[in-house]
Amino acid sequence: MTGNNNPWTAGSPMTRRRLLNAFAVAGGLGLASPLLSACVPGSSGGGEEKLAPSPSAAASGTVTLWMRDDDLLKVFKTVIPAFNKKYPDVKVNMVGVDIATKLPPTLISGTGVPDGSFYEDVNIGAQAAHLFDLTDLMAPHAADTLQFKLDVATYDQKLVAVPWDTDPGMLYYRESVLSDAGVDPASLTTFDSLLDGARTIKEKFPKAQPIPLEQDANLGMQWLMMMINQQQGTGLVDANGALTIDTDAFRRALTWIKTVADEELGARSKFASTGHVAQLDDGTISLVPWAIWFNFLPQTGLKTTKGDWRVGLLPAWEEGGARSGVMGGSSFVIPKKAKNPELAWLFYEFAMYDPAGYGTVYGPNDTYPNGLNTALPSVKAALEGPPLFKPVAALGNQDLWSIDTEAAKAIPPGYRIPSWFNSAAAYLGVNMQKMIDGKASVDEVINVSVEQITKNLVDRQR
Amino acid sequence: MTSTSVVDPAVERAAGSVLPNRRPSRRGWVGYALIAPFFILFAAFGAYPLIFAIQLSFTDWRGSGSVNWIGLSNYTYLLTNLEFWGSLANSGVMWLLIVPIQTIAAVAVAALLSRSNLRFTKVLRTVVILPYVTPMAAMAQAFILLFDTNFGVTNYLLGFLGMEPIGWLTTTFWSKPTIALFVLWKTSGFALIIMLAAVQQIPGEVYEAAAIDGANRVRTFFLITVPLVRRSVAFFVVVSTLGISQMFLEPYVLTKGGPYTSSKTSGLYLYDHIGASDLGTGAANSFLLVILVLILSLAATKLLRSED
Repeated sequence: MTGNNNPWTAGSPMTRRRLLNAFAVAGGLGLASPLLSACVPGSSGGGEEKLAPSPSAAASGTVTLWMRDDDLLKVFKTVIPAFNKKYPDVKVNMVGVDIATKLPPTLISGTGVPDGSFYEDVNIGAQAAHLFDLTDLMAPHAADTLQFKLDVATYDQKLVAVPWDTDPGMLYYRESVLSDAGVDPASLTTFDSLLDGARTIKEKFPKAQPIPLEQDANLGMQWLMMMINQQQGTGLVDANGALTIDTDAFRRALTWIKTVADEELGARSKFASTGHVAQLDDGTISLVPWAIWFNFLPQTGLKTTKGDWRVGLLPAWEEGGARSGVMGGSSFVIPKKAKNPELAWLFYEFAMYDPAGYGTVYGPNDTYPNGLNTALPSVKAALEGPPLFKPVAALGNQDLWSIDTEAAKAIPPGYRIPSWFNSAAAYLGVNMQKMIDGKASVDEVINVSVEQITKNLVDRQR
Repeated sequence: MTSTSVVDPAVERAAGSVLPNRRPSRRGWVGYALIAPFFILFAAFGAYPLIFAIQLSFTDWRGSGSVNWIGLSNYTYLLTNLEFWGSLANSGVMWLLIVPIQTIAAVAVAALLSRSNLRFTKVLRTVVILPYVTPMAAMAQAFILLFDTNFGVTNYLLGFLGMEPIGWLTTTFWSKPTIALFVLWKTSGFALIIMLAAVQQIPGEVYEAAAIDGANRVRTFFLITVPLVRRSVAFFVVVSTLGISQMFLEPYVLTKGGPYTSSKTSGLYLYDHIGASDLGTGAANSFLLVILVLILSLAATKLLRSED
């Protein structure tokens, strides 16, 4: 018998080698074709830049909106019935998604793109090219929006997001600790007086390290940015994208942080970690210059000191200076490849600028019986209107609304978030950690950070 | 002189019965149809992404806009960057802290569980393998609680011995050993599965012969068990090397690469590029790791097979 049973050779026109060759050729074509055609996934060329719907009660269709998959999803779902009273033919499909992980690849691949999405301000810049320019649509609302929120969402003179929350810096403190140490909270009006207050507390309670010194490089850098924004408006860069690290504001803020560390007035831990919570509860930490959202800890995270925490305005860097700075914040973006971007705009406009919308978001609801008080609207009309959330026992039933809104309105304009903001934590954030640990001087932090950020981030933004 | 066919047509006709036909037989098409799903899936999800990534590594593409060919720029940037080498060094230290200990311990425990008369061996196997099948996030949280500087159980116990608390996850000296300990805890079950399979394949007669010749347990282990599981050890070392070169979740969950960059592994450094949408540099970083792992794996395999 001469027959060959091997399917690779017997009766086959294609040998194994030929098949492999065919794959090699296909591979070669695969290698060459995308470059030749310049057709890469998510290439945003050719898409409409500006979104220009005509808001109308006749709008109809289904809109898919991505929301962070936590309590905010529950809160924003409560807006839908009110929205549907105004736009009855729009079906809102709000989906909880791990947005930081999933939105960038979705925008790049162009597959399964939502009509709109929640997005943290620090992440928007890196994806700005995939987002609609909303400048014209936002024009009627611009005067009613805090300026810094418009600044952080503007890239190449295009406003690419609908501003949502404002996260001002505040000063949280333990009333009983300050009272026992004889520190009057009303005296903490400057960062120098805050330092004096911490020294007084340490004299009274030698084990105290009243001010938290964040151990996470990224969050630590955001804390520093709050102090920088407070002093000079800008953060890491100015409106032209030029680095603003080698400035008096940075030098002053870093020197203050170094003093806290050198005098052992600062407690090292990561925000909301087990250690941090214990330090807050056992009196190690009692003065917390931090973003408004620190207040979720007294409300839900702390075990023994609920009700002992109070909030005041952030100290100024000099008498009469700004009493707040920005630390965090989020907005809503509309991808260029969305199927129903107009409907997404209608929802966001309603939720952000219609009193029925923002009143529902921040007012009492099933998720937050006293209202959402870990952030504030960015709409001036809302900030100047009646309180949206109520006092809470965990913060001594203070009039939170008045203090928080005063801080929000004090945030200086001019804050810009470069597209490489998060990556800068590997340089400025890490160098600041070294300084806190006594391994670098203020000048070294500034000089080395400028060099590293210029080489690895600024110069590589082609 | 013109070229002419040197094959006699009669011979060609005769050979026609054994040479392949130009047209495929029906049976041949069935064969191709059966293997086609694999090749289609491989081409779509294996070959194409690989080729695309190679191409990407020579561009400055950031996920939007035009694609610019920049030659070897991403590679030279990485190869002249201390952070890249630092991440490799961190991964190298992790390898040294994990692989030798884990391999030797896995062979020893596998031999013990297979050949000894220990009671409760099935329970012991389950206990050792349990961490391997437990979700990483849950284990990491438990580990963070155990090794917290100020409030962790570990430092609490050290305090009983009069020792100062150690910054297990917050100091540059201890961050890598602590992560290595976590990896050992988490993955030693996998090592044990591999080595148990290898040890159990060794014929019992070999051990009986050794016993008759008067070999004690220690000599039996080193002269019989270890040489006969050499191939499995080579396999495990290669797989571990691959795993450590890609190690991401463990340092990300425990230290986020810190303090400073002391526990930033090559996988975490690579993620930084992708997270920053610097896709070209990320792709170049990937291929440099592929080359490095290939060299290390070949070396490990050659070394462990050299005395076959």
